[in-house]
Parts: sequence; C-alpha cells; structure tokens
Amino acid sequence: MTNGVIFDIKEFTLHDGPGVRTTVFLKGCPLRCVWCHNPEGLDVTPTLLYKERLCAHCGACRRPCDHPECKPFGRCIKVCPKGALSVAGREVDAGALAERLARSADLYTPDENGIPGGVTVSGGEPLRQGTFSAELGKQLRERGIHTALQTSGYAQKETFSAVLEHFDYVLFDLKLADDELHRKYTGVSNGPIHENLRYLQASGKPHVVRIPLIPGITDTEDNLRALADLAGDSMVECMPYNPFAGAKYAMTGKEFLYEEPQKKQDIPDLSMFRHVKLLK
Amino acid sequence: MNEKLYQMIREREHRIVRTQPVPPMAEVFAKEGLDVRERMTRRFEALCAKETPVILDESELIVYTRTVPNLPDVLTEAEWADIRAKHFVHELGYISNLSPDYGTLIGKGLIAAMEETEDPHSIRAMAAILDLADRYRIYAEAIGRADVAEVLAQVPAKPARTFREALQFFRIIHFSLWLEGSYHNTTGRFDKYMYPYFRHDMDEGILNTATAQELIDDFFLSFNKDSDLYVGVQQGDNGQSMVLGGLDENGNSVYSDLSRMCLKASEKLQMIDPKINLRVDHNTPLTVYEEGSRLTAVGLGFPQYSNDDVVIKGLCDLGYEYKDAVNYVAAACWEFIIPGVGADIANIGALNFPAVVDIAMHRALKNAASFDDFMKTVKEVIREECETIMSSVHDVWFTPHPFLDVLSGCDIAKGAKYNNFGIHGTGVAIAADSLAVLRDHVFGDGTITKDEILAACDGDFAGQEELLARVRNECPKMGQDDDAVDALAVDLLDTFSETLKGRKNCRGGIWRAGTGSAMFYLWHTKALGASPSGRRAGEPYGTNFSPALFTKADGPISVIRSFTKPDLSKTINGGPLTLEFHSSVFADPENLPKLARLVQYFISRGGHQLQLNTVNRETLLDAQEHPENHRHLIVRIWGWSAYFVELDKSYQDHVIARQEYRL
Repeated sequence: MTNGVIFDIKEFTLHDGPGVRTTVFLKGCPLRCVWCHNPEGLDVTPTLLYKERLCAHCGACRRPCDHPECKPFGRCIKVCPKGALSVAGREVDAGALAERLARSADLYTPDENGIPGGVTVSGGEPLRQGTFSAELGKQLRERGIHTALQTSGYAQKETFSAVLEHFDYVLFDLKLADDELHRKYTGVSNGPIHENLRYLQASGKPHVVRIPLIPGITDTEDNLRALADLAGDSMVECMPYNPFAGAKYAMTGKEFLYEEPQKKQDIPDLSMFRHVKLLK
Repeated sequence: MNEKLYQMIREREHRIVRTQPVPPMAEVFAKEGLDVRERMTRRFEALCAKETPVILDESELIVYTRTVPNLPDVLTEAEWADIRAKHFVHELGYISNLSPDYGTLIGKGLIAAMEETEDPHSIRAMAAILDLADRYRIYAEAIGRADVAEVLAQVPAKPARTFREALQFFRIIHFSLWLEGSYHNTTGRFDKYMYPYFRHDMDEGILNTATAQELIDDFFLSFNKDSDLYVGVQQGDNGQSMVLGGLDENGNSVYSDLSRMCLKASEKLQMIDPKINLRVDHNTPLTVYEEGSRLTAVGLGFPQYSNDDVVIKGLCDLGYEYKDAVNYVAAACWEFIIPGVGADIANIGALNFPAVVDIAMHRALKNAASFDDFMKTVKEVIREECETIMSSVHDVWFTPHPFLDVLSGCDIAKGAKYNNFGIHGTGVAIAADSLAVLRDHVFGDGTITKDEILAACDGDFAGQEELLARVRNECPKMGQDDDAVDALAVDLLDTFSETLKGRKNCRGGIWRAGTGSAMFYLWHTKALGASPSGRRAGEPYGTNFSPALFTKADGPISVIRSFTKPDLSKTINGGPLTLEFHSSVFADPENLPKLARLVQYFISRGGHQLQLNTVNRETLLDAQEHPENHRHLIVRIWGWSAYFVELDKSYQDHVIARQEYRL
C-alpha cells in the first residue's frame, strides 16, 4: 500500500498531454506562485471549499456536530443543503487508484494516427508526494497505460529521476529564468528546476516545456528570451493567462495576491523559441 | 453560400412575403357534411391555390417559400370532442413523426404517381401540387429566372434527372406535406436516396465540388424559411431531422462525399434546421467522427450519433425485417423508425421511473423485509404502470392524409407495415440513485430509517438537511461508473423492456421500450415529491438518458461508462445520453480528434445514441438578461436544437442547470 492525497480526478482533460487523458491532481505544492489557479492544491492537508454562490446563509453548518472529519474546519461539512461546502483532499492507495483508472484503458490505446491517450499525474506538485507518484506511474504502466507527469520540476534530483522512471511523457513548467524574480513570485529558487530540466533533456524522454504567460511577470521579452535559451530544442507550449484564475481563492479562504490585468492579454512575441505552440 | 439570401433568412426579413391568415374552414366543412378525407383534400387544394409563388432573391436556387401563415383545422371543436370520446387521438390528431419515402416519388414524378393511384383524393392532392408548381414556373419565367423555370418544367411532374431537380422535388414534397397538415415531417436517409443524383452530376461534369456545395447550402437554407410556422412543444421542436451515413442492405457504408458536404453546409449555416443525425458502427473510421466533431464544435447541438450495431439488432429483435431495420432513421428527435413502410407511434406514452420508486416506497417500504423484497414491488409497479399506459391506447384515430398516402403506398391513417407503439422511460438515473440509497442505507447499514426517508420524500427534506446533504452529495450516482448503482438501472430497464415483450397493441403492432424523456423531464416532476437520491420536489430530471442534474462525475468518461452498461438494444425506442461541453473545449481544433475518440468509445461500448451540446453558462445567463444580443444563440433541448431566446424560461433554466465539462 502506497497512500497519497489527491484533490481531484478530471476526465477528458485536453491540455495535459497527448490524446484523450484523465488527470489526477495530487495535493501539496512547495511553490507559492502568486497567480496559482488551484489554491486548493497547495497544502497537503484537506482544504475546505466554500461556494458562496450556492450558500443560502441558513446557518446549518454553524451548528455544533461531533463528526471527526469536521473538526479541522470549525463547522459541519455534512449538512449543507445547497452543496456549498466540500472538502478537497482524500487519501487513496496508488494501486487501487491505478486499478480504477485502468477501467477506461481501451480508450487510451493509440488512435489511428498512433497517438496514445492515458493518465496525467498533476498537482499541486506531484513530486511533493514523490513515492506515491512513482508508485502510481508504475502501477498504471503495469496496466498498459501511457503516463504523463505534469510538474514544476521543483524537487531533489533523486526524487525527480526516481519518479521520471515511471512516466512516458513529461509536461515541465518554466516560469521565470531570473532566480531573484523566481523567488519573489513563486517563493522558491529555480536552481533545482533548471537542474532537473537539464536532466530531463539529457534523458531523451518525450517532453514539453510549458510556460504560463502571466502578464507583467513571465511574459516579458527578457524573461522569454532567457527561457528560450533554457528550453533549447525542447518543444514549448505557452499558455495565455486565464482571467478567472482567482475564482477559487474565495472558496478556500485564501487571499489572491496577484492583481489581474483589466484588459485582454496581448500575446507577446514568441519567435525566440525554436519550437513553440500557443495554447488556446 | 448566397450571402444575401442567407442574411435575409437569418434576419427573418423574408417573412414579409406572408399574406393574411386564411379564415377558418371547419364550420363550413361541417355544414356541408363532408367526410374527413374530403375535408383534408379540400383544405389542401385551397391552400395550394392560396399560395403565391415567390423567389426571394435573384440567385435563390431551391425555391418555394410559404406565404400562407396558417393551417385552419378541418374539424370543429365539437367534432374533435366527439372523436376523442370514442378514440385514442395521438397529440393533435394529424399524422406526425414519420419518415416518408421521398426517394421513390422523386424518381417517379407526380404524373406517373397519379396514373398508379386509384384514390381520387390522392390524385386531386397531386393535381394541386402540379398546379402550384406550374404557377411557380410561369412566375420564374416572367421574372427572367429561366434556370428555375427549366427545373420546374421537369419536376415535380416528371422524374428528377439531376441533383438540382431532385433537391427541388424534395423541397416541393416536403413543403406539401407541411401544407397538408402532417407535422414533424422528417427528412430520412438523405445521403442515401439523393446519392445517385449527386454522383450522376459529379460524374457528368454538371456539378463540381464548389457548385454542388452551393446547391446543398441553398437547399439547407430552405429548411429555415418556414420553420417558425412548424411549432411543436416549443419553437424549434419541428422534426426536421436528417440522417446521414450508416449501413445499407449489403452492409456497406452509405457515408460519402455528399454526407461530408451536408455536414459542411450545416457548419456554415449555423441554423437549427435540418437537424443532423450521423449513423455510425464499430467499423466507422475515426475520420468520420472527426468530421462530425467539427460540426459539434460549431455549437448547434448536432450531429446526434446513433449506433447501427445496437439499433439494427434491437429492431430485428423486436420483429422488424432486417432490410427495414438496416434502413432505420431517427424521427423528429431520436425515436428509431423505418422510412416509407413505418407508421409507428414512437411517443405514445412515458413511464416515469422516479414515480415508480415513489409508489413502491409508499406501498411496500415499511413492510419490506429486504431490499430484494422491495425490488419485487418496484417491478410490480413498473408492470402496473406499463399496463395503465397500454390499456389507455385503443381505437387510435388519425385524420386521413391523401398526399402522405402517396409517399406511403397505403392509407397511412389506418397504419402501414409497422404499427408499433413506443413508450419513453424517464428519469432512470434518478430512480437508480434512489434505489441505491434505499439498498445501501435503509436496508444495508441501517443509517437511514424507513420513516426518515419517507418523511424526506413527502416533506421535501424539510428539517432533514443533513440527510439531504448526504444522499444528494455523498451517495453514489449513475454517471460515476459505479457498478453497484448502474446495475440497478440495468435491472429497471430490463424489467421495462421485459414487461412490453410480446404484448400486442390495438393496431396489431408491438410495444417498444425507450430511454427518452422528451419534455417529460419537466412534466413528470410536477406531481411528484422529492426523491431518495436527494432530488428536491419540482426539480427536473436530466434530459433523456442522462445523469441527475446534480450528479458530480469525474467527467464524460465515467458518464459514458455508466450509461453503456444496460443492454440498450432492448430499449430501442431511443433516447440519447446527452453530454454538455463548455464551448472553450472546442476553441482549439486540436481537441476535435480527442472528442472524436470519446464518441467512438461510446459507440464501441454499445451506446445506442449520443447527443453533444456545446454550451457556455456565462453566455446563456447573459442571453436571459439580454435576449436582444443573442438572437442566434442555439442550444440542444431534448432531441432538437432551438434558438435559446425563443424558449420558455423553464427550458432555458434546464440547459443552464446541466453539468458541463470544461477544460
């Protein structure tokens, strides 16, 4: 048994690797990117989600209860008649999860063009639960399923290489080339990330480098030029900023610190990249 | 595409050609003591004579536009009351929801058909059609449209020789059917009966890809000229469905360049008619699904897919001859019917599954010793409800339709080769979810008492918030790929089809079970309390064969898996699974092959029918606030597509409440 904490499973994810895919979101991330659009994935422990839009302010959740699972949240999560309260985060066994995901294995086999679908392990940061990610990848592969890892690359090299072994494809995020800016906007140094990227590139494993185009932060010409150097011959996918990125913060009670631009994003020049695709 | 004509139709400016409504006729007919067949013929003759030939634009290729806006009844209210007292009258009493045999008449011409028929009313009806066609021809000549005049010099009197003549002939037949008073006049296997004309013109160099596409575009546009006059339950519910692809009698695929051009025309037009159905099977290549997906991405709610592997088998199991079953089409929405030889009434009743559970609970829950014991009552109620529906149908009566008879080769009001009746099955997911709660928690772990759940259903969970939250949000649901819940749906549907098996109806046909809901997803909830699954009183069901609206699934894969577990060849009256996708899913064309694969997966798992809707919640909400900004916004309702702003709010709200799959 190798247990891990996940906060979501999403089927038919379209930007998480080749073919038809299902993505498993692992909880916990060492980075604190100011623009993060999955705040419920930041902590490893369960996170209470509150949808104010659904709330009738009836007060039912404020009445005392003796459910042990409600303890950490100071309110009862089991009585909301509107479904406004839910908890992100549940513990699962890698083998059982792989077994469950493998039910749709025949949907993931290569199509007539030879493109396989499969399962993508994402987060949070999957390397944060390295043992679990590796085991999940292993178990999926044993069941003939193509595996993809979506990662910030922030982990010890040993963890990264141990997890990488069980994945067929990697979606590797790059954000800021300048270490000082990286620390400022994500909370951590980009040193380990760059080291792991070089390791990935040298490994010959199919991968794509993904760059979130955050207005005024990552989409500057200087930064993109420096990232293009790091990406080298790797395929690059740039993701325009999603203006609803902050939507989930209210649900988690966390504060969204990034000030969203009010006008539509101008897509910057991307010609410095050797192989690039702009996602829509 | 003729842009000027397109804009005119899109902006409804062509409706200016409509005349004043014609006055009532029934009283006059009654006073003269005319029989109904005579009345139908007289009305048709009168309306044909009232029609004014119009050509909307100097480059309009396929002509005929309705100018008379109404269709006065042929019977007085008192006469209808008298008939209804003695007979079962289906819907309006005029024939609906059939697929006439267009191909034979197009290849024959009306003159030959008049020689073949002995019925004087059919002959008079055809004479009226010829007369109007001749007036159109003379008008075309007078305004310098020699091309139109030339086409009308051949059809509908004589057999079509070219693709354009065949399309114009079809238009005249279809126009005449509506004018005669049948409704939900479907289009049938268009790419099958039109293909010889298309192939001929392409081979002979009469048409090339561009000119053929132009013709098809113009022809497709013609379905939208009068469609507002063809009202069903809601605007858009008009039955102008078209079937493409599928197998022929020899097991070969019908899908051709013509089918592709039809998909393309639909994609360009972005209008609600004709509503496209695509027949596929386990051999259909992924490229066909990709071509279908391209149309889905436009957001019209079609194509709707149906699975030949399942449907043909299901129809044969019910006694349809293979050569007829292989020729099946979707009726107005999704009911499987046979063109030409069918007089099935596919929507004659509806079994309300959540009501079945409710009745069984009130009758037997308290004394049931076990869940299996309780399920015996559930099945007993299914049988009783089916009996009630079946016994309510006797002495079916339709008005005669002398012109439709020509396309049917018989007096269609009396029936045809197939006279089967179909019963929808609504809310099966909610019933299965509810039974799962009873099985797992009332009989199983005992965490919910019988009194509690009965009180919750009768009192709409008042004061039982915790129970509501638990059953609604935490208990497993059909659509989550949970075998234990899905097995209950299998059991319910099997019981339904078993109950109807071998039963004869009053027209000598049989009964067919289905998974459709039509408008019953709203209507069936009216007299029902809450459901054990946490559905509140008054809350609608999912559309047709779909999860409850509040079901939280991991995504469309689980939903597809759940809804393909029953043997759907047994519920072949039809009723699709509907998946809603947020429009952003289709922003990137690279996603279309992925959607294609998902549809193929549904088919490979034995799904019978699939509808895909492209929605954008934000846009729909804005359209409710500012309808004037969204006049062309199209959504799929229960088996047809409509302009969102023309729907009643309850139908709008239902679309908004459905779960959509996002990126």
